[in-house]
Amino acid sequence: MNSMISVSNFYFNYLRSDLVLKNVNIEIEKGSFTVIIGPSGAGKTTLCKAMTGIVPFYSGGDYAGEIRVLGESTKGKKVSDLAMKVGLMLEDYESQLVSLTAGEEVAFSLLNHGFPPEEAEERTRLALEDVGLPGRESYQLDELSGGQRQRLALASLLAVHPEIIVLDEPVSAMDPDGGESLYKLLDKIHKEHGTTFIVVEHRLEFVLPYMTDLIAVKNGEIAAQGHCEDVVPQIYEDEELRPLLPDLWQVRSNLEKKTMHQFKLWRSADEAVKELQSKGFGRGVRA
Amino acid sequence: MEETVNIHASEKECNTTPAMTHVEANQEGYRWVAITAMLFAIGIILHTVSPNVGGVTPNWTIAMYSIVINLTRPPLKRAIGIGFVAGLTLIPSSKSAFPLGNIASELSGATTCCLLVKAFVACHMGDWRLTPFITGFASTFVSGGVFTFILKLVLGLPLKVWIFAMLPVVAVVGVLNGLITFGLFRPVKKLFYAQEGGEDK
Repeated sequence: MNSMISVSNFYFNYLRSDLVLKNVNIEIEKGSFTVIIGPSGAGKTTLCKAMTGIVPFYSGGDYAGEIRVLGESTKGKKVSDLAMKVGLMLEDYESQLVSLTAGEEVAFSLLNHGFPPEEAEERTRLALEDVGLPGRESYQLDELSGGQRQRLALASLLAVHPEIIVLDEPVSAMDPDGGESLYKLLDKIHKEHGTTFIVVEHRLEFVLPYMTDLIAVKNGEIAAQGHCEDVVPQIYEDEELRPLLPDLWQVRSNLEKKTMHQFKLWRSADEAVKELQSKGFGRGVRA
Repeated sequence: MEETVNIHASEKECNTTPAMTHVEANQEGYRWVAITAMLFAIGIILHTVSPNVGGVTPNWTIAMYSIVINLTRPPLKRAIGIGFVAGLTLIPSSKSAFPLGNIASELSGATTCCLLVKAFVACHMGDWRLTPFITGFASTFVSGGVFTFILKLVLGLPLKVWIFAMLPVVAVVGVLNGLITFGLFRPVKKLFYAQEGGEDK
């Protein structure tokens, strides 16, 4: 199965609200690292919740269309059961922490799903190791820093071995170092476990080296979607979405337009400098 | 709980919107227990610290379960359970001649509130701004009426004392409680159901 999540002709509004999502059609490929961008209020968070069954079956509202996760419709599924396949970390990750200690927190969903205590303990240990918190099972949550608690929330997702992880603005409250470090960790998990990632992110410079696919949401509709190489020119043409692209890609698109040259989709400033120099642009260009 | 509704183009901004399926929020689960427990706890604390002004003290416990019943619209059996627990919580701090009367009175109050809320919903007035005031007042009046009537029986007071001395005081407390229920209902609703419609999209 190549499509992990398939959203077809999906419309949604919350109770007593206007349409939040309109005619959304998305295919998330297995093993992809998809980033969702869009202006504030475009419907990104709702889209994340829809992919995890929270919208509309937990939140309530009116909907049309269908969402399939790993080939199965989310209709009639309990959110807790879907969470075994697709994990969600909200922007306010603190609201997802419910236990007193790190070990209890990671084991919580496992024990609630009937995993034997020995297996829950082993999975907890491995998940904490994966997120760089080895041996912290007995730590009280208030003994962990904000960044560590965020890693703990991630460990709670990893422990159930979901095939898909959805993160809503995971670095919005982090400094640049913390943001880079978290995305490095996600990349490691992506490569080691082959997990499919879907991330809502405003600051694309953090995900530049890792993202494979891009979805742009505007006014509840999908404005562009596909592999980064294919959709960046389309997004650049949209004046409202253009500022959401990282500076590097805006420079690239601008150069392509003005020089008629084609450039690779640069993932770092170094890569950009190398290509520009190799094509004879600005000999003095430095990263 | 699902039902398919045809939402006309004029109601929605997009005139190609297909027929939409309506889904009720399925987040209740045991959430109502948490909401009830939290409001009861607040009610008990306020009940303990509220001063008596001119012989009248608001009954915070009744106001709190009126808010809970307006918020969660429970089935009758659950409302009776809420009333029973409310009665139990009032017994330890009761200074009346017959503390157990609280159980009967709160059972009546919660039942009244539940039936009234159901009636308002049936008349499509569930979201009417004054519903919390009316249900808060009525449940307090019925609860207080039952409690004072039990007292009248236990103490062997004349009927006139109950009608002309006790019921007017109950009515005043009822109005006070109605105002409290009215005033607190919307902020509490906003807190507990923040994601309904008005959330960050």
